[in-house]
Amino acid sequence: MFADVAAKASLPCVAVCLTACATFSDTIQSTERGLAQQQPKAALAAYEKVKPAAPDRVLYLMNKGMLLRMSGDYAESTRTLEQAKQGIEELRALSLREQALSIAVNDATKSFIGEDFERVMVNNYLALNYLEGGQLDAARVEALQVDLLLREKAQKIAAASPYAEDAFARYLSGIVYEDEGEWSDAMIAYRKAYEAYKKQLKSFSVAMPETLKHDLIRLADRMGLAEEAKRYREEFKIDQTLSEAELLDRGEIILTVHAGLAPIKRERSTTVPNPATGRILRIALPQYRSRAQPLAYASLSSDSASAKTSRVENIDAIAVKTLDAEMPLITARAIARMAAKDTVAAAAGSGGSSGNSSANTTAALLGLAVNVAGVLTERADTRSWFTLPGEIHLARLALPPGDYKLKIELRGRDERVLDTSEIKIAIRKGEKKYVSRHWIPTNLEVKP
Amino acid sequence: MRRSLRAAVALLALAALSACATKVERLDTSTAVDLSGGWNDTDSRAVSQEMIQDSLARPWLQEFRGRPGQSRPAVIVGEVRNLSHEHINVNTFTLDLERALINSGKVDFVATKQERLGIRDERKDQDLNARADTRNAMGKELGADFMLTGTINTIVDPNGNQQLLFYQVNMTLISLSDNRKVWVGQKDIRKLVTRSKLRF
Repeated sequence: MFADVAAKASLPCVAVCLTACATFSDTIQSTERGLAQQQPKAALAAYEKVKPAAPDRVLYLMNKGMLLRMSGDYAESTRTLEQAKQGIEELRALSLREQALSIAVNDATKSFIGEDFERVMVNNYLALNYLEGGQLDAARVEALQVDLLLREKAQKIAAASPYAEDAFARYLSGIVYEDEGEWSDAMIAYRKAYEAYKKQLKSFSVAMPETLKHDLIRLADRMGLAEEAKRYREEFKIDQTLSEAELLDRGEIILTVHAGLAPIKRERSTTVPNPATGRILRIALPQYRSRAQPLAYASLSSDSASAKTSRVENIDAIAVKTLDAEMPLITARAIARMAAKDTVAAAAGSGGSSGNSSANTTAALLGLAVNVAGVLTERADTRSWFTLPGEIHLARLALPPGDYKLKIELRGRDERVLDTSEIKIAIRKGEKKYVSRHWIPTNLEVKP
Repeated sequence: MRRSLRAAVALLALAALSACATKVERLDTSTAVDLSGGWNDTDSRAVSQEMIQDSLARPWLQEFRGRPGQSRPAVIVGEVRNLSHEHINVNTFTLDLERALINSGKVDFVATKQERLGIRDERKDQDLNARADTRNAMGKELGADFMLTGTINTIVDPNGNQQLLFYQVNMTLISLSDNRKVWVGQKDIRKLVTRSKLRF
């Protein structure tokens, strides 16, 4: 009797699970379309229709914050990203309930708090939002928070992780401190960025940015670190660079170009029948698919001067390498889950071994239902901050005070012009202006 | 059996519903409530109170009054910079400070730069539109004798799920005539924040 009721009850359960298990990534196609058509506002409108489940709230806020930024609504973007940051802080404690669910159902039932690099990116984009809004002190708060985050991370990590430092976050902090006139803090941050770029060249293939080379020399000179300045001059083969005093006589434009989109997580799964037991086994794992990153560099030019961007962050590579490093753990959990689900299905199916044929049939049905439910709910956790750019490029251009019309030109690997735009900007003496440009190629297809 | 099951379900639903209702509890503003461990109203108030008591008890006030033809110094609040690792609303705290200093009756306060711009606009408007006997003339503003500035700094020492937070608030009163610092106030706050390792 009980088995009968249970079998009947399990069917709607399976149905509920099926609808609930559509992962976050399935809901984003219209948003992506909007982005590829260079219409961030349409993408935002499409995305705001998503009603995130409770575990996906932080991810929703991250994506929304980025889309708001792309649409030019910096104030709202800042508010949203601050909410995401707060959400992460609240969710950092381990939830036993979610751990149990992730073993029993799938990894996507856990609350999303993002990978380390995604959490650092929240701070980076908040800092950029504040800088572009002229709130230097607020950007400084973000620089301090990023430092805290990276320090905590360094304490935690035992094994060598490819992403132990965030070179761009360090570099941006240095720029903030230099703008504040806090030379020693700026020097330390630039040095940390220098170390990080050197160390990560192999894993993320981001060369030392051209601008950072000049920044290091300028700051070392300003601090009176003659020995260190000489070392940088020799290493980078740079003789001439603006001194801090010369730079303060002019104004400066700091351009960041956010190009392409971060790789997207897809599911890779295998479903096989086990001939020994007659039950089905399934395992599903996440996998990143990189997108095309056609931007080679951007140039920022006035009538008299121009500057070229250097790549400062390769989010695509960071994401892929981070997942690679975590794959053993994810796989182990998936195998444990498969075994657990199979054991439960076996137990459900063996309920009627007493010789009563109707009880036998019910038990077999129940076993099948549990098996099917287990297989259907086996989904990979394909949640990721997909509106992050694939790469970030940066240029610094010092100009004498005055009103300027500047041209931003985005170029592909074959020097082909991908996009041009113009900005009007007034520069005052000693002032730094922060400008950013988001650019997403029309062709968003993922590499196979 | 069925009936009791239904009753139980109804009860459960009711319990779930009542748990979702917003609950508001009014608190006395002087009770210290710490939720996240970050800078909050209690810190702001503790710092401003200490600063005011300290600043009014110091010799600069007596010294200024002793000068010929001077009675009460005019003070202006400059910038209180947030150099901490948190986004802190410094306004509540400077306003606390300003209010207590004005109410002490020992100093005059001059409107801030932003406020002055608004008032000047109003005076310009009066010049055009107000009756002659009620008009306030330009160029009669009270110049400040001292400027109050400050910084909020933090040092954070994290270790695992514990964080030692150290806040240092510095306030400086600078004489506008000769850049002399006449008073420096400092207040330190130390907190040990332990984060829960587990949640529901």
